[in-house]
Amino acid sequence: MNACVDLIERSVAPDASWIRPDIFADQALYRLEQERIFGRCWLLLGHESQLPEAGSFFRTHMGEEPILVTRTLEGEVRAFLNLCRHRGAQLCHEDRGVAKSFNCRYHGWAYACDGKLLAAPGEKQLYYGELDKEEWGLVRVARVESYKGLVFGNFDPDAEPLADYLGNMAWYLDILLDRRAGGTELLGVQRWRIPANWKVVAENHVGDEYHVGFTHGSQLPRPIRSRAAPIPMAREIRPELGHGIGVDVIPEDVSPGERGGFDEEVNEYLRSIAGEMKERLGEMRPRLFPIHGLVFPTLGMIPILNSIRVIHPIGPGEVELWSYCMVDRDAPQQVKDILVQRSIAAFGPAGAFEQDDSANWTGVTRNTVGQQARKHRLNLSMGLGHEGEVAGLPGEVGLTASDINQRGFYLRWVREMTGGPA
Amino acid sequence: MTPVDAQLLADLQLWYAREARLLDERRYDLWLEMVDVGVRYQVPTRYLTAQGNVGDFGAWTVDRELTQAADVFLIDDDYEGVRTRIERLQSGMAWAEMPPSITRRIVGNVEPGEVLENGGIEVFSALMAFKSRGPRERSFLTAQRRDLLGRSDGDFRLRRRTVIIDDTVLMGENLSIIL
Repeated sequence: MNACVDLIERSVAPDASWIRPDIFADQALYRLEQERIFGRCWLLLGHESQLPEAGSFFRTHMGEEPILVTRTLEGEVRAFLNLCRHRGAQLCHEDRGVAKSFNCRYHGWAYACDGKLLAAPGEKQLYYGELDKEEWGLVRVARVESYKGLVFGNFDPDAEPLADYLGNMAWYLDILLDRRAGGTELLGVQRWRIPANWKVVAENHVGDEYHVGFTHGSQLPRPIRSRAAPIPMAREIRPELGHGIGVDVIPEDVSPGERGGFDEEVNEYLRSIAGEMKERLGEMRPRLFPIHGLVFPTLGMIPILNSIRVIHPIGPGEVELWSYCMVDRDAPQQVKDILVQRSIAAFGPAGAFEQDDSANWTGVTRNTVGQQARKHRLNLSMGLGHEGEVAGLPGEVGLTASDINQRGFYLRWVREMTGGPA
Repeated sequence: MTPVDAQLLADLQLWYAREARLLDERRYDLWLEMVDVGVRYQVPTRYLTAQGNVGDFGAWTVDRELTQAADVFLIDDDYEGVRTRIERLQSGMAWAEMPPSITRRIVGNVEPGEVLENGGIEVFSALMAFKSRGPRERSFLTAQRRDLLGRSDGDFRLRRRTVIIDDTVLMGENLSIIL
């Protein structure tokens, strides 16, 4: 533990203006992350729309832990470790579906959607009626809370409420989640493995407007598809608590549709909801267009292309990225279809943007494993000391492209890893 | 069992071999000539799901595992999308393919399906695709292709392709090559 604290203090500058790649490669740090980051932070499980009826379920992960998320017969969302309490066998093997109960295939213990142990074969004859079924229900994820459709879990029973954890970030998330009365829904999930450290992926989501011009050079001279326009530059905003978001502030004389370069069908839809948005979000927020962001530690988002994703760590050198399309639930089907097609043309494993991102993340991870590379600092100093404020925008703002959000991410990471107050 | 049209099968096998070679040789310009301007090129996502009626093998369909109505694909391109995907490589900044991946596509199990009234033909085939970017970046996948080929100027043109990857989680960093 002390060795880890020493390593962390040696590897991240007090102002996070540099880091050493030890934090990407070290096995002991990775194990500590599982406990201190993934064991204590609020992690995205999914969206209420993925559980449309009683008995709906899907599988996911929290850190490296396999998780089963269900909707109970009473309509409540619950999350469990996906293992049978009897001998630890994997309980649910399907990715998603609807079930009345979950039966372990090893010895047949059966659990209800709310996690209660319903029955064990031979309860009377073999256990002499002495098995305490109350005691042997599924292991619940200690806390499950929703924020406007997004469902989060936390292993720490003493964790602060989700709303406090999100802090000012919620004000920005509402631009996506609360702009319409009907809320949002998640469509599908693209899942793929990238041999990269999870923080390399996370820091690219939380900030890093800087990389767009070069990494995504293949997309700049021409649009992703003939009907898409180039992505505008974002302002980097560090709401607080290690979360970060990049937003485009749309000038008064430009419509959000024009700014985003959407199809006419989408523009028309955006015009049709402008009044509702203003009513729900006020004057300022309808003019903010979130481009990218991250809820610490691993909920990434590319809102301008309708993608939200979870960066699941699988050892220090690999992640499994789960990317969902998020759309307004009450949008016309045609609008949803256009947005989805646009999203996956740009993001996901075959996306014109993300192919090149994944190549970078892999390269960083692979090439900083060596003992020599690990000794050297990597730079995160852009805009340090030039943070500012913009009236009406909660949080600190990078006045132009800036590493402000990545510094916030790593400072939060250090606080969590060294056990200090968040 | 319908009798096999030996000439048709030979023509199809040759067409698929040529397509695979052009892609492996990165002659995307020539490959694009094999693609109809009305093409739909899709790669569904795939999930582990329970089968409906376990006693009935007829209900054990692959389709249940694939992208459903409210769902996403990995790729869902029209001709414009396919062309843009290829033009991207010519930008000189498509880093995932710079330098280009070394690839090998092996297409087998070519099975002609239904012949449509307009002369189009459904074809099932199996694909093995290998991609190497050096010894530490190698990936391999297998997939079913469900194609619809049209005919024009005496040759086949790809009108529809659905690539069903034999995995729920895509391995190998990204999908930067045409399947």
